Amino acid sequence: MIKRELKINLKSFIIWTSILVGMFLVVFLIYPYILTDETAKSLDEMLKVFPPELLKSFNMDLASINSAYGWLKTEGFMFILLIVGFYSSFMGANIVLKEENDKTIEYLYSLPIKRNKIMTNKIIVALIYIVSLVLILGIFNYIALLISGDFNQKEYLLLSITPIFIALPLFAINLFISTFLHKTKKTVGISLGLVFIFYLLNVLSETSKNVEILKYFSIYTLADIRNVILKTAINPINILISLGITILFIICSYIRYNKKELVN
Amino acid sequence: MNTILEIKHLKKYYGNNRGVEDVSLKINEGDIYGFIGPNGAGKSTTLRSIMGLINISSGKILFNDEELNPDDPKIKEKIGYLPSEINLYDDMTVKEIFDFHESLFERDLSKRRKELVHLLKIDENKKIEDLSLGNSKKVGIVLALMHEPKLLILDEPTSGLDPIMQNVFHNILIEEQKKGTTILYSSHVLSEVSNLCNKIGFIKDGIIIKEDLIENINKNDFNYLTIISKDIENIKKDLNLKVKEESENRIVLLCDLDANSLIKKLSKYDIEKILIENVSLEDLFEEYYK
Repeated sequence: MIKRELKINLKSFIIWTSILVGMFLVVFLIYPYILTDETAKSLDEMLKVFPPELLKSFNMDLASINSAYGWLKTEGFMFILLIVGFYSSFMGANIVLKEENDKTIEYLYSLPIKRNKIMTNKIIVALIYIVSLVLILGIFNYIALLISGDFNQKEYLLLSITPIFIALPLFAINLFISTFLHKTKKTVGISLGLVFIFYLLNVLSETSKNVEILKYFSIYTLADIRNVILKTAINPINILISLGITILFIICSYIRYNKKELVN
Repeated sequence: MNTILEIKHLKKYYGNNRGVEDVSLKINEGDIYGFIGPNGAGKSTTLRSIMGLINISSGKILFNDEELNPDDPKIKEKIGYLPSEINLYDDMTVKEIFDFHESLFERDLSKRRKELVHLLKIDENKKIEDLSLGNSKKVGIVLALMHEPKLLILDEPTSGLDPIMQNVFHNILIEEQKKGTTILYSSHVLSEVSNLCNKIGFIKDGIIIKEDLIENINKNDFNYLTIISKDIENIKKDLNLKVKEESENRIVLLCDLDANSLIKKLSKYDIEKILIENVSLEDLFEEYYK
């Protein structure tokens, strides 16, 4: 059954991975050409115009985008976190619900498999693909950085792991929400909305001390790229919270899924 | 005979809407149990409750005298289910879905699979998405039967099948019954129910209104009694039976009186003609669901 799940989710995995890898490939290919000494200077000058709070929100106060690695640490990782967040959310929202949406669940439930096993198989496959996406992207960017110039390898290694800390809870939260739904149509809006809301809360929390509290309501706080850049370390509390949220929502999903009724 | 499936006072409500009100039935090993009722009577809700696709509001479902846990793989191995609407994985070929199905059972199912594919003339190379309604149904039949279940639950199994395939399918069911398989057969097609089933349950508005052996139902307590007489009004009052048709001097009544009491009651009237006919399953169905 896992083999079948891997097969049916492979196509979307390839599409998502290709989009990300393709985008970074383009950036790494063109960055050395567009970034002459002069443009690098003018970029730095231009960024000085922006309010420091805004630069802080995108970690641009910590790294300059006048190198490929600098860009990756700031805008690049912002993009990675968003795309990995979307992918994980969609996986969570659809991997179990798709059977109900396509009405194949009636057949699946007639087979000698427990509901828990159906759920477990689907979670395993989703996690394999989410981790693979982060790994492939990490390896691709590592190779590209090796070719394109100097970078802090330890810092990069830690940065490339951070998407996992937002991907897992987003997957689990969406999985849990999907156990209340019967059609995948509704999940697109919910998944997109959740990622945007969490992301915005995180960005806003960096803009002022007055709204710093917002970071406690955002999954994106768990990526904490700022801390990785500043201290070249991952805060273990973030790992624990990320795993805690993931486990909690997965347990709730199992409970809910076992009681779920099929609607005609 | 052992009871393989027993339902006790099954009740299912979807919010405020009634699914089934009170369904109790008993199916013995080797029975082909016809489950009859009009649309919305609660047939599919009952079958879906047995399969654990919906949570029942109250009541009990027993399988081999033990409370049925439809999520238990060991129980599921003993049950074959054919829903009224078949939805399978479109991206697979027929061969792939059969292989997938086989892979989930510990036993070797290949022999029975081959037999069924041959009997139902199925092309295993076709893609599921390219199958007609009838061919999808045939694939569904193989999936429900290939693991040789002890209990077979069929919801409108012949819809979409051509008459030749319906016959083939009925012969397969008769063979299954000879092997000891118990069949719960839900259908609107009364002729096939009366030909196939040895026991019938009528469901109306979520309640089993009659359950009996087919021989008793065919013998049944009811007859159509046609009387032609000038005394129709008095006869009607005196017999106090359900009127099926009525014209000036003619009346057709649904009669459950025994011959002696009927003769006694009618002897005082001047009757021109009297006709007693058996009530068929179709007629009974009409009567119950009026």
